[in-house]
Amino acid sequence: MIEPTRYQNRIEILQGTLDLLILQTLARREQHGHGISVAIRARSGEVLSVETGSLYPALHRLERRGWLDSEWKVSENNQRAKYYSLTKTGKKQLAAEQDRWSLLVRAVSGVLNPV
Amino acid sequence: MNVLRFVFRLFFKRQQVEKELNEELASHIAMEARLRVQEGESPEAARQAALRQFGNVGLVAEVTRGQWGFTWFEQALSDVRYGTRSFARTPQFSAIVIITLALGIGSSTTIFSLLDGILLRALPFPDSNRLMMLWELPPGTQKPNVVNLSNFAAWRERNHSFESMAAFLGLPMNLLSDQGAEQVPGFAVTADFFSTLGTPPLLGRTFRPGEYWTDEPREVVLSYDAWRRRFGGRADVIGRKISIDVSHHEIIGVMPPGFGLPNKKAEIYVPQAIYFNEGRNYSVIARLRPGVSPEAAKAEMATLASQTAREKVHMDAGWSATAVPLLEQAVGSVRPILLMIFAAVGLVLILTCANVANLLMMRASGRTREISVRLALGASRSRILRQLLVESLLLALVGGLLGVVLGGIALHWLKTFLPESLHIPRLNEVALNVPVLLYSALASLLSALIFGLAPALQSMKRNVSEDLHESTRSVTSGRKVRRVLVVTEIALALVLVSVAGLMVRSFLRLASVDTGFRAENVLTVRMMLLPAQKQQYHAETVRQMLDRIRALPGVVADGSIGILPMEGTNSGTAYYRADRPDPEPNARPGGDVSIITPGYFETMRIPMIRGRAFNAQDRAGSPLVAILNQSAAHMLFPNEDALGKRVKVEWDNNDVVEVVGVVADIRHSEVSTPPDPCLFMPNDQQPFWAAALVVRTTGDPAQIENAIREQIRLVDADQGISKIEEMQQMVSDSIAQPRLEATVLTLFGVIALGLASIGLYGLIAFSVVQRTREVGIRMALGASRAGVFRMILGDGLRLTLIGGIVGLAVIIGLSRVLRSLLFEIQPLDTSTLSSVIGILIIVSLLACYVPARRATKADPATVLREE
Repeated sequence: MIEPTRYQNRIEILQGTLDLLILQTLARREQHGHGISVAIRARSGEVLSVETGSLYPALHRLERRGWLDSEWKVSENNQRAKYYSLTKTGKKQLAAEQDRWSLLVRAVSGVLNPV
Repeated sequence: MNVLRFVFRLFFKRQQVEKELNEELASHIAMEARLRVQEGESPEAARQAALRQFGNVGLVAEVTRGQWGFTWFEQALSDVRYGTRSFARTPQFSAIVIITLALGIGSSTTIFSLLDGILLRALPFPDSNRLMMLWELPPGTQKPNVVNLSNFAAWRERNHSFESMAAFLGLPMNLLSDQGAEQVPGFAVTADFFSTLGTPPLLGRTFRPGEYWTDEPREVVLSYDAWRRRFGGRADVIGRKISIDVSHHEIIGVMPPGFGLPNKKAEIYVPQAIYFNEGRNYSVIARLRPGVSPEAAKAEMATLASQTAREKVHMDAGWSATAVPLLEQAVGSVRPILLMIFAAVGLVLILTCANVANLLMMRASGRTREISVRLALGASRSRILRQLLVESLLLALVGGLLGVVLGGIALHWLKTFLPESLHIPRLNEVALNVPVLLYSALASLLSALIFGLAPALQSMKRNVSEDLHESTRSVTSGRKVRRVLVVTEIALALVLVSVAGLMVRSFLRLASVDTGFRAENVLTVRMMLLPAQKQQYHAETVRQMLDRIRALPGVVADGSIGILPMEGTNSGTAYYRADRPDPEPNARPGGDVSIITPGYFETMRIPMIRGRAFNAQDRAGSPLVAILNQSAAHMLFPNEDALGKRVKVEWDNNDVVEVVGVVADIRHSEVSTPPDPCLFMPNDQQPFWAAALVVRTTGDPAQIENAIREQIRLVDADQGISKIEEMQQMVSDSIAQPRLEATVLTLFGVIALGLASIGLYGLIAFSVVQRTREVGIRMALGASRAGVFRMILGDGLRLTLIGGIVGLAVIIGLSRVLRSLLFEIQPLDTSTLSSVIGILIIVSLLACYVPARRATKADPATVLREE
C-alpha cells in the first residue's frame, strides 16, 4: 500500500478544471506531458498535483477534440518528447473555460462570504 | 468515409499510435528521473522514485487508450479471440454445433430462396401487379375456363377497368428448317399482347397494336432462347423468313431473356386474328388501369359477363367471368405446399437452435468455474454476458456462412435436377440474391440470440463464492429451461413427422389409384396436324400414320386420341338426349369429348362395358356414332340402356349421334380427380386438329421410337412431332409433385426426429452424469438396478409424452390447413398418428436407453468415495 501521508498537503484537482489548467499552461508555449505536470505543480506552489493517470487521458482527449496539436521534438535535455500546443479552437475553448471558471469562483466566494 | 478512416486507423495506424503512447510515457518517466538526478538523487534511486510517482504504467496506458474511442471494438475483438480460442480447445463440440447450425440455416436458406423467387418477387414485367388473367366461369362452378373470342371482344370494348387486353393460345407450332420438321411450343397472340405485358423487344419490333386483324400478318417474334439456340443470336435475323405451320413468316423481333408468362414456355409468338365462333379456347391477359383495384375489376367482369349472357343466350347463359392477378394465377397452386415446406424448415431451424442451446448450456455448466473466476477477478457481469453472446454470434456466423454455401449448392442442385414434369413455376427466377442473403443473416442472428441467450443468462445467475467453493458438487440450475427445450423439440418433431406421415399416406393413396387404363408398354406421339384445306385430310393423315406404324414389328395395338390422358386437361362441350326437347341453354349437361380412332380403347386396355368399339365402317358419310363412358351413360340415361339412343353434341356441326357402345370410366385429366362424363366420337367422322398416337408394344416402347418417327416422316416430311413420351412416364409425372412433397417432408421429419432424439439423449445423459451421486446413494440404500433403470427411462418417457401431447394439439389446430393438401386422407388419420406416436416413443426409449444403462453401471461404493 502507498503511505497515506504522501499527498497530504496537496489538493486533488477538481473534476473539470484539469482541462482548464492544461489549456492555460499551453497558452504560453508548447509543452510535453511531463513539463505540463511540473508547471502546474510549480505555479500552484506545490499545492496542485496532476496524476499521470488523469493527465495523459486528458491530453489525448483534448487532442481528439481538436483543441490540441502534438508534435515529436527533442527537448533541451536532448530527450525525445511529444510536445502539445494549442490550436485555434483550443484558444477559443480556453477563453470559454476561463469565463466559466471566474463565474464559478465568483459564485463560490459569494456563498462563502455573504454580504 | 468516416468508417473507412476508422478502419484504416484501427488496422494500420494502430500499432504506430500504440508505440507513440509507450514512448510518450517512457519519456515522461525519463524526464522525471533526470529532474531528480539534477536535484541530487542517485540515478538508480531517481529512476525508482520516478516510476513510483508515475504509478501503474499499464493502467495509465489503458485509461489513455480508452480516450481513442475504439475500445468497444477492441473488446469485441478480444471477445472474438477469446471465443475462438475456447472453441478451438473443444474442436469436436464446436464442429457439432457449427455443422448443426450450417444444416439448419442452409436448408432454410434454400427453401427461402425458393419462396422468394417463386412467391414473393414481382413478375418480370413493368408494373406486374397490374396484370390479371381473365376467365369465364361455367354455369354453377368457380373453376376458371378458357375464353370465347367474341366474349373477349365484348369485354375489351365495354370494360372500364383495364387499359388493354389480349387473348392468346399456347400450342405446338410446326417449324421447318434444314434439320427437318419439328414442333416447338408457341403462342398465337392478339395484337395487344406485348403492349399489355409492357416489355419492349430486345431487337426489332413486336406486333403493331390497336387493331383487330381480319387476315393476320405473316410475322413472328422470337423468344431470346429460340433466337440464341436456333439462330445463333445473330442480329441480322430481323427480316428473315421462316416456315411456321407450312407458311412463311417474317421475323420482326426478339424478346429479351427471361420474357415469358410464368410456367408457359413459348419459343415463338405469331399473330392471332379474332374470329367469332362458339368455342372457348383462349387465355386472356389484361392490364389494370392505374388506381383500379383487382376486386373492382373482378366485379366488373361479372357484370360484363351477365350482359353477354343475356345477349347470347344460346352460348353464354349461366356463364360468368372473373379476373385473377397474374402472380396469383402463376403460383397459387404451389403456394400452400411451399409455405408448408417453409414452415417445416423453420421448425427444423428452431429445433437446431434448441439443440445448440442445449449443448451450450451443458458446456456452460462445465465452465461455471471459469466464469466464477473471471467474475471474482472483477469482470463485470455485463462484460461476461457480452462475452457469452459474442461466442454465440461467432458460432452463428461460422454456421451461417457455411449454411449459405450449403444452401447455394443445394439450390444449384435443385435447379439442375428438379424434373420439368413438376411444373414448378418461375424456378428459373430463383437465386441466392440480396433478400435471400439478408434472410440468412437474419436467421443466423436470431438463432444466435435464441440459442445464446438462455445459456448466457443461466451462467449469470451465479453465486461466485459458492461456485468456487463447491466445485465438485453438481449444478442443476438451467435444468428446467433445458427440459422445456427438449419438450418443445419433441412436440415440433411430432408435428413434422405426423405431417410427413400424412403426406406419404396421401401420396401412396394417390399412387395406388386405378386410372382405368394400362399405361405400361404404351408409347405416345403428340403433334399438331398441319393446316389442311379440308378437315377430312387430318383424319386421312392419322389413318396413314397408324397403318404404317401397325406394320412395325413389336407393335401390338395402336390408336389415336385428340388429347391424351394425364395431360391435365381435356376438350369438352355440352351434350344431351336428342329424343327429348333441348334443355334450357344454362341447364345443358355435358362433359369431356374425346375424338379417337378405332384402336384407342384396345391399345389403352379400357374395357367395353356394352356394345362395340368404333371400326373402319364408322367413316365420313356413314351414320354418325358415339361411345359414352359409364359416367356419361349414367348422366344422360339413368336406369335406361344407352345403346341405340341418340345424343345431340354441341361440337363442330352440332350433330346428332347414335350411341353404339358404353366404355369403362378412366381418370383422364389427372389422377386425383374422379372420372368426368366423357363422350367419344370417331376421328374419321369428326376430324380433330391434333393427334396423340398411342402405340402398345411387346417390349420396351422406347426402342421403337425412331421407327415411328421415320414412318411419320414418310407420310408427310413436313409434319413435326411435339413430344414422344411413354404413357407410364406421363402417369408418373402427373403425381410427381405430391411425390416430391412427401419426400421433402419425410426428409424434414426424419431430421426433426433425429434432432429431437439427440436433444433428449443429451439431456438424459447429462442428468445421469449429474445424478451419479444420487443414484449411488439410492443403490446404497437398497434400490435395485432395474429400479434405477426404470427411473431414468421414466424421466425421458415423461418428457416424450408431454411433448407428444403438445404436438398432437398442434396437429389438431392445423387440421383445416392440412385437409386441403391431402388426398383421401383425413388430417387426424388414426393409424398414421398412432404409428407416429409409436415411432416417437421407440426413438425416445432408444435415446434414453444408453444413459439409463450407464446409470445402473454405477458402483455405489466408488461413487460415494469419489465425493
